[in-house]
Amino acid sequence: MEKLIEFRNIVKKFDGQVVLKGINLDIFENEFVTLLGPSGCGKTTLLRILGGFLEQDEGSVIFNGEEISGVPAYKRPINTVFQKYALFPHLNVYENVAFGLRIKKMSNDLIEPKVNRMLELVGLEGFQKRKIDQLSGGQQQRVAIARALVNEPDVLLLDEPLSALDAKLRKEMQQELKRIQEEVGITFIFVTHDQEEALTMSDKIVVMKDGNIEQIGTPTEIYNEPVNRYVANFIGQSNIMDGIMKKDYLVRFDDKNFECVDHDFKKNEPVDVVIRPEDITIKKKNQGKMNGQVISVLFKGVHYEIIVETKRGVAKTIHLHVLGNEDVYNEEANEKMSAADFSMDIEDVDSITPQDLILRANAQAWKADESEEEISINEVVYDIKAEAGRYPVIFKTANGTSIEADVNVVKPKVIADEKEKIGIQAFDVYKTIDEIKESMAISVDLKNWADAYAWDLETENEVEIDDVRFEFDPMEIEEGTYEVTFVTEGRTYKIHTTDEHEEGELVSIDFGPEDIHVMEKSVG
Amino acid sequence: MKSFRRLVYPYLVWAGLLIVLPMLIIVFYAFSTEGNSVIPVIFTFENFARFFSDSIFMEVLLRSVKLAFITTVVCILLGYPAAYFIARLHPDKQEIMVLLVTLPQLINMLVRTYAWRGILLNTSFSPELKVYIGMVYNFLPFMILQIYTSLSKMNPDLLTAANDLGCDEKTAFLKVTLPLSVPGIISGITLVFLPAVSSFFIPKLLGGGSYVLVGNLIENYFVTTGDWNFGSAVSLIMTIVILISMYFTKKFDYDKEAI
Repeated sequence: MEKLIEFRNIVKKFDGQVVLKGINLDIFENEFVTLLGPSGCGKTTLLRILGGFLEQDEGSVIFNGEEISGVPAYKRPINTVFQKYALFPHLNVYENVAFGLRIKKMSNDLIEPKVNRMLELVGLEGFQKRKIDQLSGGQQQRVAIARALVNEPDVLLLDEPLSALDAKLRKEMQQELKRIQEEVGITFIFVTHDQEEALTMSDKIVVMKDGNIEQIGTPTEIYNEPVNRYVANFIGQSNIMDGIMKKDYLVRFDDKNFECVDHDFKKNEPVDVVIRPEDITIKKKNQGKMNGQVISVLFKGVHYEIIVETKRGVAKTIHLHVLGNEDVYNEEANEKMSAADFSMDIEDVDSITPQDLILRANAQAWKADESEEEISINEVVYDIKAEAGRYPVIFKTANGTSIEADVNVVKPKVIADEKEKIGIQAFDVYKTIDEIKESMAISVDLKNWADAYAWDLETENEVEIDDVRFEFDPMEIEEGTYEVTFVTEGRTYKIHTTDEHEEGELVSIDFGPEDIHVMEKSVG
Repeated sequence: MKSFRRLVYPYLVWAGLLIVLPMLIIVFYAFSTEGNSVIPVIFTFENFARFFSDSIFMEVLLRSVKLAFITTVVCILLGYPAAYFIARLHPDKQEIMVLLVTLPQLINMLVRTYAWRGILLNTSFSPELKVYIGMVYNFLPFMILQIYTSLSKMNPDLLTAANDLGCDEKTAFLKVTLPLSVPGIISGITLVFLPAVSSFFIPKLLGGGSYVLVGNLIENYFVTTGDWNFGSAVSLIMTIVILISMYFTKKFDYDKEAI
């Protein structure tokens, strides 16, 4: 295969924002190349630069050995299928396809066989006289492809051409496009954000992110050997774990050492580990690599998607004290005030400011008329010592209205799970009925109010609190004390299998050394 | 839905009383003439015969069509580049330009035409030229707005596609932009030609008495002479001329063809 296109260090900025950060890419003759990435990764920009609709700020585009950067779009041997097809509404199907040839001043008797052959290729014989608005999305798509291909370009650019079609039609068109590409034997450059589309059709996939190329490879390479967590995540569903490469052919993750086929990492280098869901098998308890419990089974048509939890989350329970709404009313100044008790970490006492106290007690003052105009609190009286205990705090306004709240200074009770190596802490919460009712997202608010935090005891990294459990209805809550439990995410594995399993079943998961894929930690 | 249908009745009554009925009366007058004391009305084709037999009337009719035609052509020639220019501006500036085009329309046509009379009074222009200036000035905004609307609705991707398929800027304009703005031009023509062909006020004011058009003729027979029968016949002929010209303009409109 001959090298057809070379992108050399392409940089493109829009309004000072760098969209392409030095792209280097070779594209060969007769290749089906897919530029894959999320929206905003620069894939369409790169395509438009090749099409001649945009000019790069730096770098060069070499086509058949010649620099084509200054060549206008209409002189390039490249044609494009646009995202929304951009068919000419004033022309019928035949004239749309013939458009490029008419511009070249080709004679009618030459145009006709070419157009008809193209319409046959895309499966639209007999549609010559149809108006564009009488066609379905899939048919318009085909006209757009025929209109581009009839010019016999060296390269066909396709800018997310299937995104407007429904799922079934999209599958059909994917096969259709592949067939057409094989039949006409030219280079197709296809832009998409759909990984499945990329895997189905491409000879070569270029995975892009934030204006950079992350990986270039065949679909199998990209799927089986993703270079980093980003690519692994983008291509197919994956189990991705933090791990450490102990030595060649030995990787440690989830507190166990596993044999693998990867090598040439530094000793004890932190790595990302990928295991594809279809590479894991479920066995009877104690017969595989790790024991766990089935926590979810989803039927996906051909296979089941099963989630097995091999490690429980760590939980911490606190008390939520719900108080009545006790506004203070100062008749003389016609003002009302409210404030709530709260808990505080003993370590925070030294750095406390009056503003902190107002915020944490949610102290407020307002006019007791219809305007409910907010009044500022201009004095906070407190004497809090760095010792566990309850301390009163008094909030005052300029007009002499005041309210008292208690601060509960506590030593943080950390629950440290030595086995799971996770620490978690949270404080008791004092809230009024109204505050709980007004909460828009009670789980998030409870996490914030309780200052709930979990971390990895080894690395000190934050561990996400995945679940907030409570047994009250926030809209119907009454005065009293309630338990709230914060739970961190356990370790779960996603498994695709055709075997049936039940939720709650105790099982063991198994995988071989060749199923483990070790990747360098991606930067950023 | 059915109950909403009743909302159309007031309009039907309105249209029946104020449009259809007067039209029927005009048809009635056109085909009749005042009779004697025994037979008050005599049906006749005499009014039409009189119009077509006298070359002066035909001359006036042709002059009116010619005036409307040239006004329309000049409006297209001046209006298209203006509309094209506006449509390619930044959207914020487009709004300002559209406002500038429409602003004079907010002033009463009478006042504007009197202003033109003042401006043209001391020039040596022929009465005909003065009428043309007034007509184009008055109808140009309609043309600009119609063409601008069709141009601004156009999907800019179509030009990129034309570019991709080998068109330079000029060819892309001729092959894509121009054909796609035809509906705008057509409705512009409808909005300019129809009122222009029957206008009587501008020619009267700017052309002096010497430039007689069909509109003036009709006005004259209805208001001055009081010969309603002949006036009605001229009106009817005018209506038919307009219907024929509308039919031909619509033929060029690809959009209507598609439906």
